[in-house]
Amino acid sequence: MVLSRRRIVQVLGGVTMASLTGAGKAQFWFAPSLTYPAIKVGNVNSLKNNDPVYFNYPDARSQGILVKLGRPAIGGVGRDRDIVAFSAACTHMGCGVQYKGGRFLCPCHYTMFDPAKAAAVYQGLASTGLPQIQLGVAQNGDIFARAVNGLIWGRVKNI
Amino acid sequence: MSNIGRRDALPIPPTNAEVKNTVCQYCTVGCGYKVYTWPVGSQGGLAANQNAFGVDLRNPQNPLGGLVYTETMHSIVTRRDGRQYHVVIVPANDSPINYKRDHSSRGATNAIATWSDARATKERLKYPLLRLGDQFQVITWDEALTILAGVAKGIRDKDGNDDNIAVKAFDHGGSGAGFENNWGVGSLFFKGFSVKHIAIHNRPAYNSEVWGSRERGVHELNYDAIDARVADTIVLWGANPYETASVFYTEHMQPNIQGATLEEKQKNFSKGEPAEAGYLIVIDPRRISSLTIAETIAKERTLHLRPNLGTDYILANAIARVMWERKYYDQKFLQTRTDMAKFEEYKEKSLKAATPYAQFMADVERITGVKRADIEKAADWIAKPKAGGFARRTLTIYEKGIIWNMKNYDQVAAIVQMAVLGNNVGRAGTGCGRLGGHQEGYVRPSSPTPGSIYNGGPPVNVDKYLTDGKGKLYWVIGTNPYLSTPNSQYFRKRIRERTKALSDFLGQAGEPGPTQELVAKILEGLDATGGLFMVVQDLYLTHTAQDAHLVLPASAWGEANQTSVNCNSRLLRLYEKFMDPPGEAKQDWEICKLMGLKMAELYRAEGKEKEAARFEFGKNWRTDEDVFLDGGNSYPNNAIPASEEATLPAECYKGVTYAFLRQVGQQGIRTPVRIENGKPVGTLRRYSVKFGTKDGKFSWYATDDWEGYPAEVAKYLEGDMAQKYPFWMTTGRAQAVWQTMYNDRFLPEKTSLLPMPYVEISPQDAQRLGLKNGDLAQVWNEEGNATFVVMVTDSVSPGLIFTMMFHHLGSANNLTPGYTDPKTTIPWYKGTRVAIRKIRGSLPDLQDTTSFLQQNKFD
Repeated sequence: MVLSRRRIVQVLGGVTMASLTGAGKAQFWFAPSLTYPAIKVGNVNSLKNNDPVYFNYPDARSQGILVKLGRPAIGGVGRDRDIVAFSAACTHMGCGVQYKGGRFLCPCHYTMFDPAKAAAVYQGLASTGLPQIQLGVAQNGDIFARAVNGLIWGRVKNI
Repeated sequence: MSNIGRRDALPIPPTNAEVKNTVCQYCTVGCGYKVYTWPVGSQGGLAANQNAFGVDLRNPQNPLGGLVYTETMHSIVTRRDGRQYHVVIVPANDSPINYKRDHSSRGATNAIATWSDARATKERLKYPLLRLGDQFQVITWDEALTILAGVAKGIRDKDGNDDNIAVKAFDHGGSGAGFENNWGVGSLFFKGFSVKHIAIHNRPAYNSEVWGSRERGVHELNYDAIDARVADTIVLWGANPYETASVFYTEHMQPNIQGATLEEKQKNFSKGEPAEAGYLIVIDPRRISSLTIAETIAKERTLHLRPNLGTDYILANAIARVMWERKYYDQKFLQTRTDMAKFEEYKEKSLKAATPYAQFMADVERITGVKRADIEKAADWIAKPKAGGFARRTLTIYEKGIIWNMKNYDQVAAIVQMAVLGNNVGRAGTGCGRLGGHQEGYVRPSSPTPGSIYNGGPPVNVDKYLTDGKGKLYWVIGTNPYLSTPNSQYFRKRIRERTKALSDFLGQAGEPGPTQELVAKILEGLDATGGLFMVVQDLYLTHTAQDAHLVLPASAWGEANQTSVNCNSRLLRLYEKFMDPPGEAKQDWEICKLMGLKMAELYRAEGKEKEAARFEFGKNWRTDEDVFLDGGNSYPNNAIPASEEATLPAECYKGVTYAFLRQVGQQGIRTPVRIENGKPVGTLRRYSVKFGTKDGKFSWYATDDWEGYPAEVAKYLEGDMAQKYPFWMTTGRAQAVWQTMYNDRFLPEKTSLLPMPYVEISPQDAQRLGLKNGDLAQVWNEEGNATFVVMVTDSVSPGLIFTMMFHHLGSANNLTPGYTDPKTTIPWYKGTRVAIRKIRGSLPDLQDTTSFLQQNKFD
């Protein structure tokens, strides 16, 4: 379900808009510098620890992974700050990463990313962490993807 | 959200962007890269005909082969024209090394490591600095070289020789060095000066790390990357390529283990010869990632041997003994290609053929801690003939776990002899050599030490010379011994004491203003105080430079045209200039040339024409290529047939020009280069016909018996000391910052991953000592102390810890002994005894921001 910007304001309240509109010239070099859609990707009440949910964001050709880690994470949302989402394309050569054993693992060249540490590369060949998808939580527990913090592999521009 | 600024859009090079070929500056692998530069203010378009990539960017790229352009591959630099330029450095699509645009986390940061006053690299040195009033003050090159030449000439005038002029300099390729700068440095110190107290960047003497192989007739760079793809078995001995030669592992070894190279095998093998997925033997005290990845792929085709520290040569001899017992050798090969008189000695002393097999193997088990069955299995995997009687093809690759082991000479010799016994050098899928660390680019006039103790050595330990109070001028080029030398805590303290003694003397009644008076007072102070005048020539104000008297700014990779070879194919390529150096930083060759001319000027003023002429070695060098060609001419005649390639130096490039290298681009040419019909021809694989000895035959050597540990470490194994220092410690580096920390210590993209050096400790020991991930621990012994952040891992077994070397916030080398192999003067950086304790309290910020997930767990 894709929400219009007007609708997302209603759902999330005005407080979250700063990051959505942070596409001013001054921030050109740093993400998020583009205007991203807001898309519902899950609900805090239906997520189980370490049971990832896959979704497409910011468009149909980019897969994201939403996961509740059961431990606090950088950029985590929810009561325990443990719900995070990332682009699933490995930032090394674009293979799809797997969520396995509490971390992301790329099956092609074995880069591993720590989901609690902004998907930082703690082993392997990738040069940046997985792009973190900024999340917002509505009062009813719905989780929305709002922007992508980092370049999705294979693109020169996220959208 | 993350610790560093991320990006979600990158500039596109327009069709008129300048395009240059280059090779990654960092590790031994030498991945090919393309550089795109264009003025800020314009951009290309998404369509293939609108951008310099020539790639359709409207749709996402295909994984494993599409254009790779990540956030760290772009930056903006300022050139000397005062304008800003975009710099995009992406993996090349036409390299025989990094297929499919593969790259490591390190090569991917070449762009952000470029100099800019607006980024983290603003720390680069721009101008010469002179310590005056105990502060660095900016001076000109002319002034700096006048002082330096005045001091150097004053010392040699008084002494009548260059004994008091000590040097520590890089001798490698890549990293802004290469053939040009090696020839410059070598010409200054061996043609101009006759320096004999000179040491190489990572060790206290001027020596080969592998004389144990070279003196057998096998240069350490003898295989090609393709051999890793077609080998039946790969042996990694004290080498962890996934982290230290990443793309060599992922593009050449991993596919072999996965069985993805069978077609190539069939193409390279004899008719009817069996080909199957590769086997991997890892010999290492740790469960390294190169092993555990292979276990994830095919556990049944991996074997891990964990010898006790220092016992590897005994293990190599034992594997060879099994091969001998089981007749895994080719008698005809031994007789025609090797020195059989020396073989008898090897058989007697290394293989101990006269000792009954069972007794021999029991002794080996006791010394090495490796089970007989595993040793026998290794021998089978290395040399047991395949079905149909075809000789097995095994590629044996070793690196610092062997080189920086106890008894360097015997360790290296034992491994290459094991390989040659199985006829595993000079055929497709075989070879025995180094993995390599950095790239190579050695071309120099004759150096002071010809070889090991068996060939005119051993070389002088320059660290010891200096810490003993000898030497007056110490010139450090492109290395940071305060972190990197063995027993570095002691070294650092002594050099600081000696440089400060001179500084204090100079400061009495004020440093003289006029140049000649300052030079005179420096010379007077050196005699009066036993002090040291230290000069550091580098990219940054390193830990060592902070104690220097004079600092000379050097230029880096990309700021000049340079050439180097990689280690896994000896592939020579041109690394093209794409930006200007900061300020007045200069190429090392140019600094050496100018120093030579300044020396000549001083001698000529005294009418000493002959001395002056010695120092004018570089008077005709105007371009990088002038120096490259001048160095190339120093190689012997290379218009010889392929069958004689073994007689050539491994890096011989005589006859190659920049124009030739531009023409071949990423394909490069493999050294040693020969000239055939007037054209340069490369060498794919070495020693197929002859070995590199006078008679062309492999020269066997009888290794020493097991004699226990050297005094510097043995002291920790007895009585109270054994209680006080209960752990073995081994050392090494880490994937994210391998060969890159000279730049990476300034880049937040890297410092955020490894904010501190770490110690690996087993879960059992961690529990016993109350240590957990993210705690701080102090590790110490009588040599020194260092603080590490704790990582609990099964990589190390109980009783052994692993600590990180060369981290800018502390290095394991504080604790390493001053021991060097008496045969080669190579240190044992990777073994000593230590104590470890938890530092009370914690650093929550460090724990919250750093990952402590296990780095060797891939399943």
